[in-house]
Amino acid sequence: MKLLYRITWRISVALLFLSAAWGMVFYFAIINEINDETDDSLEDYSEFIIVRALSGEKLPEQNNGTNNSYYINEVPEEYAVLYPSERFIDDEVYIYSEHETEPARILKTIFRNSENRYYELTVLIPTIEKSDLKETILTWIVILYLILLISIIAVNAIVLRRSLRPLYAMLDWLNRLRLGKEIPPLELDSDISEYKKLSEELMRSAQRNNEMYEQQSLFIGHASHELQTPIAVAQNRLELLAEDPDLSDTQMEQIVKTIRSLEDISKLNKTLLLLTKIENKQFPNTEIVDINSVVCSISEDFAEAYASHEIEFQLSETAHLKMEMNRMLASVLFGNLLKNAFIHSEKHGMVAVTISEEGVRIANTASSGALNPEYIFRRFYQESMSKGTAGLGLSLVDSIAKLYGITVSYLFMDGMHVFDVRFQKS
Amino acid sequence: MKILIIEDEPSLREIMTEYLRKQRYVVESADSLKDAMFKTADYEYDCILLDIMLPDGNGLELLRKLYRTGKSGNVIIISAKDTVDDKVEGLELGADDYLAKPFHLAELNARIRSVIRRKDHDGDSAVSFGNVRVDTSSYSVTVAGSPIELNRKEYDILAFFINRPNHLVDKMNLAEAVWGDHMDQVDNFDFLYAQMKNLRKKMNDAGADVEIKANYRLGYKLVAK
Repeated sequence: MKLLYRITWRISVALLFLSAAWGMVFYFAIINEINDETDDSLEDYSEFIIVRALSGEKLPEQNNGTNNSYYINEVPEEYAVLYPSERFIDDEVYIYSEHETEPARILKTIFRNSENRYYELTVLIPTIEKSDLKETILTWIVILYLILLISIIAVNAIVLRRSLRPLYAMLDWLNRLRLGKEIPPLELDSDISEYKKLSEELMRSAQRNNEMYEQQSLFIGHASHELQTPIAVAQNRLELLAEDPDLSDTQMEQIVKTIRSLEDISKLNKTLLLLTKIENKQFPNTEIVDINSVVCSISEDFAEAYASHEIEFQLSETAHLKMEMNRMLASVLFGNLLKNAFIHSEKHGMVAVTISEEGVRIANTASSGALNPEYIFRRFYQESMSKGTAGLGLSLVDSIAKLYGITVSYLFMDGMHVFDVRFQKS
Repeated sequence: MKILIIEDEPSLREIMTEYLRKQRYVVESADSLKDAMFKTADYEYDCILLDIMLPDGNGLELLRKLYRTGKSGNVIIISAKDTVDDKVEGLELGADDYLAKPFHLAELNARIRSVIRRKDHDGDSAVSFGNVRVDTSSYSVTVAGSPIELNRKEYDILAFFINRPNHLVDKMNLAEAVWGDHMDQVDNFDFLYAQMKNLRKKMNDAGADVEIKANYRLGYKLVAK
């Protein structure tokens, strides 16, 4: 959910409760005020009548054209003692002139005349209908709520969108940020201090990350590089030793095996150097590479080398693909994918290579289940330890693919590991 | 044949010197750019092995100087850097070859032989061992003067061995040299035996006085019969 919608949604909910509460408070305040006013006039009226009644003056007419009416009843003394001398009651009364029942405010006053007889005076004023008032207030509260909501959404759309613009600019910038690539400029058209601070921190953090990344890849480069000479020395010394004609067979075997291990180290080292170089874009020489011929010649070599495993090799070409890239990297890319396909095929398995308009698909029968596409392109990741492999092949593939905007994806289909190489349509 | 090794790493210099002396070359060495400048100014060498990264400067400087005097044609650059730029610049300055560290001594020897051959025979591209002669420009092979037919892989194998006579070649190295770099994880070399068997038979039938001998389950060696 977008921040803008979330804020609007929350304000709407809060407003709903607030306006409901406000409606209630407003209703009681109005009712109180009305009762207060009515009570005052009832008191005045009742006082006026009592004074008249006690002094024996003429009482006002019962039906005097207003809706105010009164009547006086004599009550026993017990009644007068039991009830307070003045009490207000809300009740429904029948109004003769209107011929309908209406809510009224009633004041009952008990008084005693000079003969010690008790009377109860009831004065009443028809008041407003409370349910009408409630309805009206509710209606207007709902209208107020809707108006507020619409204005808040409108204001949000304008104000929030405008104030959040730097935030979206920063998000967009973060999206474009790539580790090891040049940091794009972050320009904020805002004088809000929080945003300024955030953008400065973002920039600093991106620069720090990039520096660390560069340092690290430089370190790997240097370390691999510095290792080459001692490896060369060790390897060459063993080669000199192997020239000795007095060596026994077993000594010779030990020496050759040691040389092989050294070659493994040297290869690992060279692969790391190659990775660093690819990431530093040190392969400027590109040419139009005939993908078909690269794939065919490599896979024929492998098919020959793995003939003893009786692996069935299928090659189908329905398109002729060409791509502008470094020739050596092209052969590293397909060499590694094909090598994996052959190495990880069981005896009597199958390796199928399809070159179509869409790209190159390399599939081989899987001896185990699907691989995790999250991990397989990581350095030194291996599903199972196998001899002589370091798990750098697919990270090389990944780096080369990234360099040229090629997508390499992994699928597990019908018991086959499938690697799809797709070239960007230019 | 006189060779100058320009290499600052003492251990590597010592091994290269020892190995090349065994191969019956006259070997001189220099450990710095300054020393190398003096030596190349005063003496003539059949081949110069030049390390690019030297403590007192870049080896390419020496190459530039040799280029100006027209003597850069017999230089093999040896570098741990293996960058395209260095390679391209070195070869443009007339260096004959480029070898990345670490390298096999036999590989070094093969490159030196090729440089000297080109220099001495004025571009003659044939290499011989015993009565077997391989012409690397026409891809033809003769045994005792008469040509024999080899398929491409057989030719590649023989060409690899003829540049490394009397040297034990690891199966893995052979596979990588002939079938390509991707062969480093092959665990079965049957494919190699098949080609090798045919090649040996063809050479034997043609009456070659040298043979490729299988050695200690580890590899092969081209030796005189």
